[in-house]
Formats: sequence, C-alpha cells, structure tokens
Amino acid sequence: MLWTEKYSPKNFNEFIGNLKAKKEVIEWAEQWLIGNLQKCLLIVGPPGTGKTTFAHLTAKEFSDFVELNASDKRSYDIIKRIVGEASASRSLFHDGMKLIILDEVDGLHGTDDRGGIKAINEIVKKTHHPIIMTANDPYSKRITSLKRNCKVIKIRKVHTNSIVAFLKRICVNEGIEFEEHVIKTLAKRSNGDLRSAIGDLQVIAQGKDQISSADLDIVSQKDQVSNVFDSVRTVLKSKNFAKIKDSMRLDVNPPFILETIVENIPHEYEKAEEIERAYEMVSLADINFGRAFSTRNYTYWKYSFDFMSLGVGLAKDETYKKFARYRGSSVYAMLSKSRSKRALMDIIAQKIGNRLHLSKRGAIAQFPYLKIMFTDDDMAYELVNYFGFENKEVKFFRSKKLKKLKKPSKSVRKQSRSVKKPSETNFTSKKAQKVMKKDKTTKTAPKKPKILSKKPKKDKTNEKSENKGSKSKKKDKVEKQTSLFHF
Amino acid sequence: MYLNNPIALTQILIIIRTNKNNGDQMNGPWVEKYRPRSLDEIVGQDHIVKRLKRYVKEGSMPNLMFSGPAGVGKTTAALALAKTILGEYWRQNFLELNASDARGIDTVRTNIKNFCRLKPVGAPFRIIFLDEVDNMTKDAQHALRREMEMYTKTASFILSCNYSSKIIDPIQSRCAIFRFTSIKGEGIIKRLETVAEAEKIDLDKNAIESIVYFAEGDLRKAINILQSSASTSAQITEENVYEVVSKARPKDVRIMINKALDGDFLGARDLLREIMVTQGTSGEDMITQIYQEVSRMAFEESIQKNDYIKLIESIGEYDYRIREGANPRIQLEALLTKFLSKAKAE
Repeated sequence: MLWTEKYSPKNFNEFIGNLKAKKEVIEWAEQWLIGNLQKCLLIVGPPGTGKTTFAHLTAKEFSDFVELNASDKRSYDIIKRIVGEASASRSLFHDGMKLIILDEVDGLHGTDDRGGIKAINEIVKKTHHPIIMTANDPYSKRITSLKRNCKVIKIRKVHTNSIVAFLKRICVNEGIEFEEHVIKTLAKRSNGDLRSAIGDLQVIAQGKDQISSADLDIVSQKDQVSNVFDSVRTVLKSKNFAKIKDSMRLDVNPPFILETIVENIPHEYEKAEEIERAYEMVSLADINFGRAFSTRNYTYWKYSFDFMSLGVGLAKDETYKKFARYRGSSVYAMLSKSRSKRALMDIIAQKIGNRLHLSKRGAIAQFPYLKIMFTDDDMAYELVNYFGFENKEVKFFRSKKLKKLKKPSKSVRKQSRSVKKPSETNFTSKKAQKVMKKDKTTKTAPKKPKILSKKPKKDKTNEKSENKGSKSKKKDKVEKQTSLFHF
Repeated sequence: MYLNNPIALTQILIIIRTNKNNGDQMNGPWVEKYRPRSLDEIVGQDHIVKRLKRYVKEGSMPNLMFSGPAGVGKTTAALALAKTILGEYWRQNFLELNASDARGIDTVRTNIKNFCRLKPVGAPFRIIFLDEVDNMTKDAQHALRREMEMYTKTASFILSCNYSSKIIDPIQSRCAIFRFTSIKGEGIIKRLETVAEAEKIDLDKNAIESIVYFAEGDLRKAINILQSSASTSAQITEENVYEVVSKARPKDVRIMINKALDGDFLGARDLLREIMVTQGTSGEDMITQIYQEVSRMAFEESIQKNDYIKLIESIGEYDYRIREGANPRIQLEALLTKFLSKAKAE
C-alpha cells in the first residue's frame, strides 16, 4: 500500500498545516449542511499540499459525492450531465446533498474538453450545488473567469518542519530507525510537497529497519521547476558551463526569460564591454526567436537558449561579488500603464488617416506638425472641425483648452489673419495677460479688467483677448466672493 | 431601367447622398485642401502624368503599381486618375483600402469581393486602390493576387508601395509599375507658391528655399512645414521655418544617443523604451532617426569620424536584423550598447 494513502488524514484534525484554509473549508461545508447556499470553493495551491485531500475530507460531511478529475473527459456536455444528475438525486432523497469535486480545473484541455470552462462557469454562477474545485496555477488564464465567481482558498507549501515531524511519525510507526539529517534532507528536497516527501521516504525505507545517508542517493532530486529569477541569477552570477546550461530548464515562455535576463544585465554587469558583449548575444537569441516564429519551426529555440544563457553568462570577465536585486522587465509595466494613451493615439491616427489617406504610421508622422498648428486658435478650430476631434483628443495636441466657440466664418478668419501684424497683437495680448496675472495675484482692483476689456474692442481685431477680459472679470467676482467668505 | 434593379437603385441613392456631402469644402490641413484634384496639377512627375493621361484618353487602364518614397504624389495620382477616368460617379466606383484599416486576408477578400461583384454604374469599370502594399504580409499579398485575377473584366487595381522589391513577383508581373521619384526643388517651389497665394501669406524667398531644403523632396512635409509656420505668424521668414522644423523634429533620439555616449546605459535604455513602448514609434522609424542623428552629430563633429563608420556599420547590421523579423526593441537596445564605448568628441 502506498504510504501516501496509508497516512493520508482520515479527518480534518489529522491534516497538517494551512490552519486558516482548513477553518474556512469546514465553515463552508457547515453552512451548506444547514441549508445556506454558498459560493463555490476554488482551492489553489502547489502540488502535494493537500488540495484533493481537502476535497475528499469535505466529501465525508456530505451524503455523497461525484468527482471529475483530469483523467476524465470534461467537455461541456459531460459536465452539464454530471451536475444535472447530481441535482436530480438531491431532489429524490432530499435529505442529503451531493458534493461535486472538479479536480485540476486549470488542466482542462483546450480541444478535448471543449466548453468545459464555460459549463463550469454557468454552474458556478447559479450556486445550487456545493462544488469544490482545485487548481495548481493561480495565474492560469483558464481560471481567471472562475476566480471572480468563487471563494478562493489559497493553500501554501507545507513547512519543512511539519514535513520532518510527519516523516518521523511514519518512521516510528513503521519501526524504522533513522538519522535525523536524512529525514531533514528529504523534507528539504521536497520543497513543500508533502506527497513527494512521503513517496521518497517509502522508496528508501520500505522493508528495511534502518535508513542512512547512503540511501539518499537512490532517490534523485525531483526535477525542479525553478522560477525565472533563479535562472537569471545563475546566468548572470555564474561562469560554470554546466550550471548555466542547466538553468534554462524551466517551464516559462522563452521570450519572457529573455526579457527578464535583458532587464537585469545592466544591473549586474558594470563594464561597458561586458554589457555590449552580453547584448550581442541577446540580439542573436532574439533573432532565432524571430526565425522560429516566422517559420513556425521551433527547433531554432535551442540556439536562442544557448545564446541567452551561456552567451550572456560568459560575457562577463569576472563574476561580481555583490548583491543585485533582480526585477521583472519594465516593458510590461510600461505597456499596461500607457494602454489608454496608446488607445487615444490610435483613435487620433485613425481619424487623421481616414481624412488624409494615410496609414497609422503616416498619421503619427503628422503629429508634430499638428501640435504646432494647434497653437493657433483659428487653425485649431478648423482642424478640430475637419477631423472631428473630441475634447480628449484636442488635449493631446494642446494643453490649453480650446474655448467652445463656433467656427469663425471664413471671411472673418481671413481678415483677422491679414490684419494681424505679429508685433502689435502680440504686444497687446501679452500686456493683457500680464495685467490679468497681476490681478490674480493681488486680488484687488476689480475695476481694472473693465478698462482692459474696452481696449481691444477698439481695434476689433482680437476677439480672443476680449473674451479673456470678460472671463477674468468673472474670475475676479468669484475671487471676491470667496475672499469675503474667508473674512 | 434602374427601377428593376435594387442594387443599382441603392447605388443611385448613395450617389445623391455623397454628392451632397461633397458640397461643403472644409478648410483644415492644407495637405488635403491643396491636394491636386486633376492630373495636370501634379508637380514633379511629368513622365508619369503623361502616361496616365493616355489611359484616360483610351478609357481603360491595366493594373498599376505606384512605387516611391512618401509625399511624392502616389495617392494623389491614384485619386486624380480615378476621378478623371471614372467621371462623375467616381466615388461609387472607387474603393480605397487604407493601410490604417485592418487588412488581413479576410478583410481584403470580403471587401474586394463585395465591391467587385457589383457592376460598375455610370463608369466603364471600377478601381480599387490599396496603399502601402509592401506592409502587407506575404499571405495577404497572395490572397490579393487571386482577387486581381478574378475580376480583371470589371475592375482595375492601383497598388502603392514604398519599395516594389517587397512585393511578391506574381503581383509585380500583373502590374504596370510606375516609379515615382522625390520631387525636385522647382516643383516644390511652384506648389508652395500656389498655396501661399491662395492663403494670402507672405512668404519670402529664403523661407521657401529653407522649406525646400528641409522637405527633402517630400511635398507633404513641405506643405506641413508651411502650414505650421503660418500658424505662428502671417509673415513667414527663414527663422520661422527653422523654428518649426526644430520643434517638429523628435528630440528624444538625440538625448538618448547622448546618454549612451556618456555611458549612462540605463538612462538611454529607459528613454528608448519610453519612445517605442509608450509613444509607439516603430522600429523602422527609430533606426532611420538614429541614423539621421548620428550623421548629423558627425557633421557637427560631436562624434569622431572613425567611431562614425563603426557606428554606421552597427546600425546597418541591426537594421537588417530588425527587417529579418527580430524584436525591434531588443535589437535597438543592443544597438545602444555600441555607443557606450564611443567617447563624445569635444
């Protein structure tokens, strides 16, 4: 008998670790049993920490349960049928409820389990049945929609000390003598995976009455799936050929590994030549990704891996003995931060492209000229009307707000342009602005703007400054009121 | 006779509607306001215009391909040709598929098919205009080639591109290729003077010459500079033009290069990412700008001559890598490292 079965907890009290999660699950089951509908449970955590055990322990509280795990086909129809049956049996016997366990929902297959996630989502929203789901990867795209409608319970890795204690108990129970450090190594190697720790122990200890450190060699270390940063650290810190090559064995999208290495090269390497050499390798790795992508021949990836790991790793003269904090690529943060701005630019480019027969790129090339043209109010009105820009889009080209005026008729515009002598108008408007600023700062002399507003009327050329004048008058009034309020 | 034919009837309705819209000519960008409406107005492409006029005379045309740099009149020639050859109802018989529209295989197929299925109304045939064909994928180009074969009787294609070499051979062999060249000084001057007169702006001779200099044979750029200068003052002088050109020129690339030359790789890289990721500048545009800035800096002697040649070697190499399908941002970051070891000349 497998020890993992033999020593699996028979009730919640025997369950090791994850106290908070345990409490939540028990509470959830109790609520169902007294007839309160609850959200479905989604138990998320690394393998071997007891998610399925949790589900099975909970099942004991209910009268019956059905389980669908990764070995079953789980398409839309099948899931609907199973759940349908479960609810039917409930109505017949009424006294008990059937618990539905869906194991490893993040492992639903794209084609074979077509519609599976959709079916689960539909059922989950109704919450007529107690359902427990488990998943390994909390960030899996398949379960993002599920997470919204479920009560998510996170299970953490089991602490090494807890594993040690548990392994010891097994040894005592089986009558095996052990050396403390053997048990400790086994526990450490398992990396929080209690199931694999028990499995390993069984392999080296079953049928014996004593285990020693020599036995440890029988079970090799589990294929470690390390995270990106471990790999990046090895690449940048080490000069050991085998070690660097080995670091690329990880289950992450390769271009993402490259981005993370790229991000951290200048944080680790200090000499310009090293950065240059490392980046040359990055460039080659990237070229091979491009080739793999465009030819759909992913055998090119092996070259990319060598360039970005060994190439970058061996680009340093000496290993640096310093602490560098590694970070994720800033590109992803930039992309999400600038999303709305880029969307705005796309809309603007589309509007321009449609009217000027230009591609998006061609339209973007017009931006700097449009920015200059927008400084002139008349021209800005024309352009806004011509392209049909909205306020948000106007703001992209000019920080100053465009007053809501009707488009001045053609003749007026022409006149104002031909009459406008740059030196004179500039002078008056500047002067007006200056005075206005003064007004604002001193908060006195409410009469002054009146005189000012009369002035431009005379030369009739500049309705803008007149507008400003009246506006400043208004502002003055408001300011006056507020100041009265203050005293 | 149209009454029996619902499709023809709807087309007539469209004709009535669009003609109404035609009525109000708006101002706005001068590049559009002063876009030549007829073939005669087009400047600087005399030999091409001559041949296009022959098609008008004969009342038929083969599939055409216009290749050449930006702002030399490819789109203008296509629009003007369509207008004259199709006559009064050109709008109804002319389909423009802009590069800013989605142009995957499916859209190309359905749009063109739907358009070509209908008989030309009020015109001898229909014209489909596709610009920047060289930016379409190979697959989309192959799809296009089939469409070109299927509707030879009812429709003609005008394709435009920057480089005809990027277009698959079967398409090239189905087209009469016209190579537009960048517009010579006198052509640009002629057009600038027409616009200035119509807009009643004062444009002195030095100003014209400097616009011609900065436009580099690109008439769209020339008119953009003119309108931008006009927005700052009614009298345009050489200084206005300089001001506008320096304002419109992207400065970030220069700053980025200087940072790299100073050895501040992280700063340069952040700026590169800002320009490409946030502002959405394409890799191709970036490498062109980098090339231009580096040559300008060599002229100003802020980069040493030996270093200049080495840098150009790298720029050319990375340009090729990007075109080969690598990730432009990563390649340009790699290119930036080449500046680190080059000292700024004092």
